[in-house]
Amino acid sequence: MSAVITPPASPAAPPSGPLHQRIAWHWRHNPKRELWLAWWALVVFYSVFWLIFFVITRVQPPPQPTADLAAQVHYFHVRHLGVPVGFAVIFCIGGMIATNNALIAYSMRRMSVSPAFAYSYLIMYSLSAIPGLLLLCIALIVGTLRPERDPEAISWLYDFAFLSFDGTMGVFLIGSLIWMLAILLDKNRVFPKWFGYLNLCNGLTEVVVAPCWIFRRGVLAWNGQIAWWLDMVVFGVYTGAFIYMLRSMILREDFGTGPLPELKPELKPDVKAAS
Amino acid sequence: MARRRTDGEVILLWTLPVTVIIWIASFLLFPGFNPPMSPTMSAEQVAAFYRDPAHIPEIRYSMIVFNWFGVSLIPILALIVLQVRRMAHRTPIFSYALLGCAAGSPALFLVADVCWLLAAFRPERSPELTQLFNDFGWITFTILVPFLIGQSVILALAIYLDDQPRPVFSRWVAYFNLLVAAALAPAAFVGVSLSGPLAWDGVLSFWLKNIAIAVWIVVMGVAVGQAIYRERAENRESGDELVSA
Repeated sequence: MSAVITPPASPAAPPSGPLHQRIAWHWRHNPKRELWLAWWALVVFYSVFWLIFFVITRVQPPPQPTADLAAQVHYFHVRHLGVPVGFAVIFCIGGMIATNNALIAYSMRRMSVSPAFAYSYLIMYSLSAIPGLLLLCIALIVGTLRPERDPEAISWLYDFAFLSFDGTMGVFLIGSLIWMLAILLDKNRVFPKWFGYLNLCNGLTEVVVAPCWIFRRGVLAWNGQIAWWLDMVVFGVYTGAFIYMLRSMILREDFGTGPLPELKPELKPDVKAAS
Repeated sequence: MARRRTDGEVILLWTLPVTVIIWIASFLLFPGFNPPMSPTMSAEQVAAFYRDPAHIPEIRYSMIVFNWFGVSLIPILALIVLQVRRMAHRTPIFSYALLGCAAGSPALFLVADVCWLLAAFRPERSPELTQLFNDFGWITFTILVPFLIGQSVILALAIYLDDQPRPVFSRWVAYFNLLVAAALAPAAFVGVSLSGPLAWDGVLSFWLKNIAIAVWIVVMGVAVGQAIYRERAENRESGDELVSA
């Protein structure tokens, strides 16, 4: 039940005209257009993600777990517009992150390992949007909905939002380990081995953040220097690395089943794509 | 190339009309949809809604049935994924991405469902807490659009890039899906206002969104049904050729 394979791409090289003409050419003729589409969706999503969480809604870095009820109510009050508008954008584009998970699953299908790795990763990361993102957004939107709500109820939403975001770690922990194991076992050299170990680092951040369920203050609290700041640095490095690694995989992709060829330095990506 | 096994797909397809009838019946039974509850109701009014002896069984039975059948769209999405796999693509990216979207909306819907059932379980609870469950349920129900938007846009892209003389779905199905995605987007802004078109009982967040979902289910049910029957007819023809050869 494999898909019909399109004939080889047009031998013509991409035009060197204005940007929109080049984009139109790739859209029609680039044999890797499905992969590039997924990759660009990933770049756009993560760019918007940082912008919304750190600038528009200002819910990251996270607030103090030790804030008193008045401070928690105030927290929602000053975000009564930024949170619902910013997160609305996340809810509009969030589904497109599925192409990112599909691309990473594809990277594992390109490896010499069992498809079980790709399918496990796809299922875990498809699930991950709910505890990792959407529940936080919903709880914060409900919190900003009625500023006059009982402060005790607001406080429950405050804890629910940040603990559901930081404290639901299993999908990311096991998902990263699955990708790591696939990379380390792979004989097709899809990714360098050091990137496999970087997945381990990302997985370990989920272990380090677990004490946020126990500590309300200190380095292991949900806003702590270790549980949040260190983890965010690792996550930022990891995200940057896998965006670069997936790009490099697409450039090297030959749609074969053997080892992924190395990118020859003299071949420009566009020329290679058309060759 | 071995032919794809298609036995049973028609049965899965024909579960859709049955499910849709059950959904419409539950939808009409839930007193909160008929008309949609106003977000401007006070905590006492919300508590009175859940304490109304006529409402309690209606809320419970409608939401229990939704809980049973809320995931019934997944087999239909699986059928769509299998049709996407027949498209002239080089990679399984689109079918993987669609599979990744399939479970998200039912999972979020279950959160809303549980909130409404919780509010009805102990209606004597403090009105503040009942209102909290009610808000959480309504916001989740209204804002569960990301996976629906994602699957519509991904399906549209997959159809658009299906370069073959007889594409699996016609081009209009792609445009239809983009239109549905656009109709679902305003519901994401439900948290902005307690009244007006974006509020959870508003023209955009309630009516447009839910009508778009209903139309999508009917149109895509017909489109995937046609594709399935066409594939079966093609399989029969090629089977006859093999026999006569």
